[in-house]
Amino acid sequence: MELTDADLVARVLVDDDQNAFGELVRRHQSAVRGLLRQLTRTDVALADDLAQQTFLRAYKNIRSFRGEARFSTWLYRIAYNCFREDARRRKELVGIDEEQLQAQHDSQVANPGLRHDLMRALNLLPLNERSAVLLCCQNGLSHDEAARVLDIPLGTVKTNVLRGREKLKRMLADWGPN
Amino acid sequence: MEQVNQEDWLDRELREAAPYIDDQGFTARVLQELPAPRRGHDLLRAVILLGMTFLASVLAYVVSGGGRFVSVTLERLAALPALWVFVLALASGLMIAAVGATAAISQGRASQT
Repeated sequence: MELTDADLVARVLVDDDQNAFGELVRRHQSAVRGLLRQLTRTDVALADDLAQQTFLRAYKNIRSFRGEARFSTWLYRIAYNCFREDARRRKELVGIDEEQLQAQHDSQVANPGLRHDLMRALNLLPLNERSAVLLCCQNGLSHDEAARVLDIPLGTVKTNVLRGREKLKRMLADWGPN
Repeated sequence: MEQVNQEDWLDRELREAAPYIDDQGFTARVLQELPAPRRGHDLLRAVILLGMTFLASVLAYVVSGGGRFVSVTLERLAALPALWVFVLALASGLMIAAVGATAAISQGRASQT
């Protein structure tokens, strides 16, 4: 019988079982790395560094996981905080802003196609809308869970998802069903 | 209806734009960076267990009148027929072996997971 996330967390808490924590990492690494890749605009190396930081922080603070939310939701919140802290630090250190990142990304997109257009459209969304759309529409979180992850009011999440979707639909109108 | 179709299409494309990412050593790298397991925790547990065992033994010794029950039990055992002593020893041995085997099997399962 496969152990649940709660069972594995209990093993980490009681026995400091690093094998159990390894199983948690194996289960959630794809989702966390995927989310961070999207947030960092497909900067794979940075996303993986942040994902590693996320899991290390989760291990150190696992006592603060109270089981009120899903373990994955808790991880997403840590991942999002890691991303925000890193983005703030980078902006302070080298002055990178959204426009610069966008220009950098535009030059990398060479292949046409729906997937590329979708990624490009996603990257054009402001961070608050992009995060909300990624969490709710791509990772299947409820609005309430996304509000916890992003630490913003529920109404704001709903608005951001709605606006983000509207913009995506407009940008991808050529690909949509007629 | 058209809007519903378009939303479904958008959701599907968004989900498909996030394929499964192979581990490729990621978990191993994370585990390598973890701090060493808490040995102090196990030590504390061992100290508590040994301390409680010692206290319980002292309490049992005092309550039983200086361990007189041990000599009484030995006298009774000596008075038993040899066959009975053999059966008791065999039953005790089997019980201990069964407990040991169960513990070993559960430990093996835990290390496999």
